[in-house]
Amino acid sequence: MRRNMKLLFVLCSTLVFLAGTVNVAPGSGNATDTRAGRDWWSLQPVVRTALPKPDVNPIDAFILAKLETDGMRPAPSADKRTLARRVYFDLIGLPPTPQQLDAFLVDVSPEAYENLIDQLLASPQYGERWARHWLDVVRFAETDGYERDRLKEHIWRYRDWVIDAFNHDMPYSQFVCDQLAGDEVAYRGEQSLIATGMLRAGTWNDEPNDPADYLYERLEDLVHTTTSAFLGLTVKCARCHDHKFDPIPQKDYYRIASFFWAGYVGQENQGGPSQEQLGYPGIPVYGWTDKGQSVSPIRLLHNGERHQLGPEVDPGFLSAVSELDMPLTSPSKGSKTTTRRLQFAAWITDERNPLAARVFMNRIWQHHFGQGLVRTPNNFGFKSDPPTHPKLLDWLATEFMHPTYDNGKAWTIKRMHKLILLSLTYRMASLHPRGDEYSERDPLNRNWWKFNRRRLDAETMRDSMLAVSGELNPTMGGSSFYPRMSAEALEGLSRKSGAWSESSREERMRRSIYMMTKRSRLLPLMTALDFTETTSSCAQRYVTTVVPQALALLNNQFVHARSNAMAKRLLTEGGESPERIRQAWRLSFGRDPSQGELAFAMTHLREQETHFSRLHGASSGETRQEVNDPAKLALASLCHVLLNSNEFIYID
Amino acid sequence: MHRINDPRLDRTYPCGQTRREFIWEMGAGFAGVALASLLGADNFFARSAHASETQTSTNPLASKPRHFYTQAKSCIFLMMNGGPSQVDTFDYKPELVKYAGKSLPPDKKFINSGGRKMGYLTPNWRPFQPGGESGLLISDYFPRVREHADKLAVIKSCHADSHAHGSALVGMNTGSTFIGRPSLGSWCVYGLGSENQNLPGYVVMLDKRGGPISGQPNWSSGFMPSTFQGTLFRPTGNPILDLSGPSHIDKTAQRRQLDLLTKLNQEHLSKRPRGHELASRIQTYELAYRMQSEAPGAVDFSHESRRTLDMYGVGKQPTDEFGRNCLIARRLVERGVRFIQLYSGGGHLEDTWDAHAGIESNHGKHGAEVDQPIAALLQDLDQRGLLDSTLVVWGGEFGRMPFSEGENAPGRNHNPYGFSMWMAGGGIKGGMSYGETDEFGFEAVRDKVHVHDIHATILHLMGLDHEWLTYFHQGRKESLTDVYGKVIHEICASG
Repeated sequence: MRRNMKLLFVLCSTLVFLAGTVNVAPGSGNATDTRAGRDWWSLQPVVRTALPKPDVNPIDAFILAKLETDGMRPAPSADKRTLARRVYFDLIGLPPTPQQLDAFLVDVSPEAYENLIDQLLASPQYGERWARHWLDVVRFAETDGYERDRLKEHIWRYRDWVIDAFNHDMPYSQFVCDQLAGDEVAYRGEQSLIATGMLRAGTWNDEPNDPADYLYERLEDLVHTTTSAFLGLTVKCARCHDHKFDPIPQKDYYRIASFFWAGYVGQENQGGPSQEQLGYPGIPVYGWTDKGQSVSPIRLLHNGERHQLGPEVDPGFLSAVSELDMPLTSPSKGSKTTTRRLQFAAWITDERNPLAARVFMNRIWQHHFGQGLVRTPNNFGFKSDPPTHPKLLDWLATEFMHPTYDNGKAWTIKRMHKLILLSLTYRMASLHPRGDEYSERDPLNRNWWKFNRRRLDAETMRDSMLAVSGELNPTMGGSSFYPRMSAEALEGLSRKSGAWSESSREERMRRSIYMMTKRSRLLPLMTALDFTETTSSCAQRYVTTVVPQALALLNNQFVHARSNAMAKRLLTEGGESPERIRQAWRLSFGRDPSQGELAFAMTHLREQETHFSRLHGASSGETRQEVNDPAKLALASLCHVLLNSNEFIYID
Repeated sequence: MHRINDPRLDRTYPCGQTRREFIWEMGAGFAGVALASLLGADNFFARSAHASETQTSTNPLASKPRHFYTQAKSCIFLMMNGGPSQVDTFDYKPELVKYAGKSLPPDKKFINSGGRKMGYLTPNWRPFQPGGESGLLISDYFPRVREHADKLAVIKSCHADSHAHGSALVGMNTGSTFIGRPSLGSWCVYGLGSENQNLPGYVVMLDKRGGPISGQPNWSSGFMPSTFQGTLFRPTGNPILDLSGPSHIDKTAQRRQLDLLTKLNQEHLSKRPRGHELASRIQTYELAYRMQSEAPGAVDFSHESRRTLDMYGVGKQPTDEFGRNCLIARRLVERGVRFIQLYSGGGHLEDTWDAHAGIESNHGKHGAEVDQPIAALLQDLDQRGLLDSTLVVWGGEFGRMPFSEGENAPGRNHNPYGFSMWMAGGGIKGGMSYGETDEFGFEAVRDKVHVHDIHATILHLMGLDHEWLTYFHQGRKESLTDVYGKVIHEICASG
């Protein structure tokens, strides 16, 4: 049966291959219904089209034109308060403080919003927010996984490098180049080497069944991570056969794999070069480099199996990008590496490469709007979701590479954020007067007729709780902290002793991006809130709404500790109950409570205080100790409700 | 087998995957899809019913129709962590007496896992005896299980892809020796949902000595939403994490919090028409409140008879822990939980079935811990009429070598080339064995059964076709068995 399946597989591959051959023949027609040819949209050159509407923000020009064609109108603009919260969460992943919000609301100048954007983009917390999105894409975690699940010493420096890159607005072309080939660049240094930590952030099995086979698994991880991240293609599907849906012959897989084949993919030193081999003995660098300037050729594996050796494959790029399908140049005499990855990086960010700018602009859009223009951000192939606005995507991609709208620098990211954030499209309200009708017509909001309401992700939820409780420790960078993990949560570890030693309280109050990600034991609070799956590239997290989340937010000690701290903060800031309640609302939601809400809250405080007083009288030991300040606990109970509320978790 | 619906007919939207998968792959609106059917049941949306894309989707954990009718509704997987020795338990090899003291013939190739000492072929450490009417031969490490021989289908020809615990465990649980894929239980709840929304659909109970090597990836939902991951369940008190808060937040105090929360959320929702995700989230708090009271009930034995407790060996050593877990498993089955995995052995080496130091010392200890509880579970399920609808699976991540680890040494090293597993209940033909290892019990030679085949068979018995049960991820329809897997129809009562 298994053999039959395989035979069937081979037959299918052959048929598909034939179909593909017909498809890519010169002068052939459109992509077929069953697979993509080289004429697939994402492989065509990026073209800047004229704006469909003059004198408006270019993004609005495309969005409004489509809405008009479809006889739809955009949602009205969101009010200033909503917009401020939206842009704070979006750019820095934290809520505005009441003071920050007030400052924006009282600023009636026409530049107020633009100034706010500039201010947030300049904030170091911007990098902490946006680096997290990238860390998902490169399957970042700090341990190997598997039995020993060893710490990747100093890999946190890669995380800091990504944060810095965003904060310093490193051009994307360099961002790509340093991560792929920081050991091969002319300006090679400690920082550029740290960037290559991307190639080592994945899982690593120190005890594979067959180390020779495992080498090819590592290659697959490297091919998959890099091609998903930078090119939005599922090149890994071509490991065993020609790609079933995209014009990626099997040979192309091995062309790309050859870039990593030249490196330390073996079983030594946690699957990479040592500090000595990197040229930095004694310096904490966890990076990547080649074994030398010439290495044994890689051979294609029939069916992806090591014992079925096929022909040698020269390093090369994806043949589907015909214009750039050229052989690699040999390294110069003194070179310590093959320079394959350096040439790969240059190929990716070549302005004629149709994928890099499109894929990255789509990611930027995705994190501002909750969805990409292409809603399969890691897949721009035949199985992708077609772009909602292909010309807009191309316009953004060309503008990214060739700035015309301002005097900005090519490939820089902050200016693209700003362009998007200044659009009316971004500023739309999440409600539309004709919402019922439009929800019928365009339920997935592919026309972007309103802003998509969004739930905070795990990190933003946790960070926001720390922010409103006044406990957030803003210290940036450095080694990760170990959060408090309950004894029950540690039960899943095979090695219990010394497996977890929580950091100091001060450390534990840092932002979530600095939290240790141990592959065999992720913090249950974070996984319940749809934290990323760390074994392979994750372009978009799930947003689930399930009971364990409610349990975690209702009962987890972390959340209770924040409620208590928030109550303490409110008491310290003074005032009578109504004022405290107002302040609690301002901290949590950025607004004052309504009369009705105020009344509900007052009742809650009174009832809970009475209840806790009674408990205090009736209990002993630990519980009695716990309820020795019923008024404060009642306030904490109110704060706890606010932290659990939809208004705290969802951003309009 | 009567097929009630053909999911293949529904696989055309818009590039081969089902609509539901499509939405998931997009990461779009999962918040909107979660719980919609539950809310539908409560007429939660009656006021604003409209046909949106998301509304056609359902609560991911709602009970779903199977691909075809089968008896099994639940599965209990008894994971003998560490790898029990087949020639000492369920695969009798009398020839080993003849070969004792000799080496395994050199044409038998294998990886010496961990580069351990080599030794000589060694016969079974405890005698085998026939059990039941079928006369299945089972060793004295499992005398009580042997009484239920007529319920068991022993598969003697299993083989796996790794000789190392870390990857072999992940292999037995997910079908791949590399971490990151959904586990068997995840596939079951993804395919079938759960019958009880007040409990998790997929429960994992670990050994007190520790978790399995590789940890969480063993019960992970991989690239599926975390909704489908296994939930760790503890045998006493609060079985699930975060089931209760600080002690002063008692029922009254919490009810007040929830009432206020609902008021605030309703107010918020009223200003946001069509806020389905908001409404779903409101509902999860009520469900959480119910789960808080229901879940501890699953581990509360106060209504179990003394006789039942004694049968499982609860309150007695060395059976107390595993006996408790087996009894909880039965209680979870009664409550409609779909997939339950119990670990025997935790941590490393002799705390698991990893009998490097000695078969007799190791299997003697672990056998005594689990034999009576497993027998009780089979008997109890049977007596309560639950065995037909409950598939019980027993096995480790691999087996052990027929030769000793070192000359005249009492232990045996890892062996993924041939080992035994058994299944009972849930549509299994009892009193039989399937497949054979060679005369040494070293490698599967006849009717070989790969881990993929075991998975295909388990899914089949649960009413799922392993080739149909796919999840679209990163451009590919993924399945538990990849492109492999063959159902062992010979051990299924319905063929």
